[in-house]
Amino acid sequence: MSQRNSSRFRTATVVVALLIAAFIVLVLLGVVTHSPASVLIECLLSEEIQFAVRLSIITSVVSTLLCILVAVPVAYALARYTFPGKSLMNMVMDIPMALPPLVAGVGLLLFFGVSPVGKSLDAVGLTFVFTPLGIIVAQFFVNLPYMLRVTRSTFQGVNPRYEYVAKTLGCTDAQAFWRVTLPMSWNGLLAGSVITWSKGIGEFGAALMLAGATRMKTETLPLSLFLNMSTGKLEFAISAATILIMISIVSLYVFERYGGATHVY
Amino acid sequence: MLIIDSMSKSLGEFSLTNVSLSVGDEEYFIILGPTGAGKTILLETIAGIYSPDAGRILLNGRDITDVPARDRNIGMVYQDYMLFPHLTVEANIGFGLKSRRADPAFIRGKVQESADLLNIGHLLHRYPGTLSGGEQQRAAIARALVMEPDALLLDEPLSALDVKTRESLRAELARIHEATGTTIIHITHNFEEVFDLADRVAIMHGGDVVQVGTPEEIFRRPNSDFVAGFVGVENLFCGMGSPDGTVAVGDLRIRVEDGMPGPVSLAIRPEDILISKTALPENGKNVFSGRIGTVRQNGGLVRISVEAGIPFRVTLTRQGFEEADIASGDAVYLAFRPSAAHVYSSGSPDGA
Repeated sequence: MSQRNSSRFRTATVVVALLIAAFIVLVLLGVVTHSPASVLIECLLSEEIQFAVRLSIITSVVSTLLCILVAVPVAYALARYTFPGKSLMNMVMDIPMALPPLVAGVGLLLFFGVSPVGKSLDAVGLTFVFTPLGIIVAQFFVNLPYMLRVTRSTFQGVNPRYEYVAKTLGCTDAQAFWRVTLPMSWNGLLAGSVITWSKGIGEFGAALMLAGATRMKTETLPLSLFLNMSTGKLEFAISAATILIMISIVSLYVFERYGGATHVY
Repeated sequence: MLIIDSMSKSLGEFSLTNVSLSVGDEEYFIILGPTGAGKTILLETIAGIYSPDAGRILLNGRDITDVPARDRNIGMVYQDYMLFPHLTVEANIGFGLKSRRADPAFIRGKVQESADLLNIGHLLHRYPGTLSGGEQQRAAIARALVMEPDALLLDEPLSALDVKTRESLRAELARIHEATGTTIIHITHNFEEVFDLADRVAIMHGGDVVQVGTPEEIFRRPNSDFVAGFVGVENLFCGMGSPDGTVAVGDLRIRVEDGMPGPVSLAIRPEDILISKTALPENGKNVFSGRIGTVRQNGGLVRISVEAGIPFRVTLTRQGFEEADIASGDAVYLAFRPSAAHVYSSGSPDGA
């Protein structure tokens, strides 16, 4: 700041940042404050929104648990071991993240709807097309890469020598993982789960394709927002949006709070 | 008795080539070498973290080459402690006994015993993150010792500590070795640790062990230019040995104890050379006249260069320097015994 030019530059960049931050806050406040509080509460208590909240929570919790279950072993393999095809595998598993969710949804619809695998699953009673089960699969497919990336970087952040010491102290590979690496990765796993859950609860495109948008059947919060918006029930749409905003902000806070501590060890 | 027999291991940029070593029961064995010499992989391969590409490892007569780390009963301590941060000191020390499914009361007793040996009995309830470096390293050593390992491997255990802590923990290591009789293999590049602790020393270079001996042997009688340079022999000359027990270096003929004919290297430690303004009696010694070049003070020592046909380096204590009453430019005499001049055949950096 000793020079006038750099001082002006500083002011310019900070002003742009302030303007953008203000823009974001205004957009969100616009949603939250659009309806009077009484109307908002009435909508939140309505059967439809209650259903959407319940379905959203159940599907997102289940899909997040599935993501954790799959991401932990996969991320560990990618973080610790070298094997043929590893870098290709790394790339493949990131694809769903870069893909538009609608495209993922079409793929899932074809896989579960018309492929032999999908048909045989359907035959044993596992129907994914136009069912709440489909919502879970859509969330899982789209969000797994996020869980995977956070988990992988968390495991990479744990010095393998902790495991070496554990092995000299009588642990098998699996015991070293359970007793040392996993507890040391707790913060990272928590942060990854929260961000995965938050993205799951907001998942729209892929879920719409695979599970459809049937009122009171596959109506999660984002689908409720979409359905009510398209039928002109603005208050219902806004109450769904308000819940989604709250969830996003809380999740982001938790992620920043614990995700940032991932590399403490 | 730990025997490493022609072991090789390649691991990316680091590797071991055909390493053979044997470490005796209750021996304190130090491995010395520059960064990248393969010291840590050697320890990790002994511990069973890596399996060797070739060769065998025998511990007390048992071939453990293919035995997993958990069944070797070899303890490992790293420079960075590697205490499990989510466990208390007590749980860290008891970790291995818990793996063996020992009785909790037995574990508590053993942990206390081991912690007391390391003087950290009062820290058992603490978490590693709240301890000083020295305390953490004590806890890490206790964690390894509580298993009563057949061999304890220490990878630069004192390098991350400040000078004072390092000195006290060095004394502790000597005491613990004395008290437990555990066979210890200790990696370092600190010479003080070698003289204070080691029964024997191995020098590693480029993935191989190039010389093994007592500290005295390694420092006085290096077998190669590499070892001589590494252990700080500053007077290192190439010469021509004669059958009469002398070596010609430049215009000087230097009397040596174990001479050999042909091209040789000659190593003389700088503190083995006497320096004086008055002529020194020969008495079978090598005496040369020269002129002082530079005089550098370095801590309690004074390093002096002397041109005597060939350039010598001499190290004196500060007191010795004051008594000699010498300064740069003075004409002086140098003297050293033939036994101080160590000869080895040149051209074989990996030793004769």
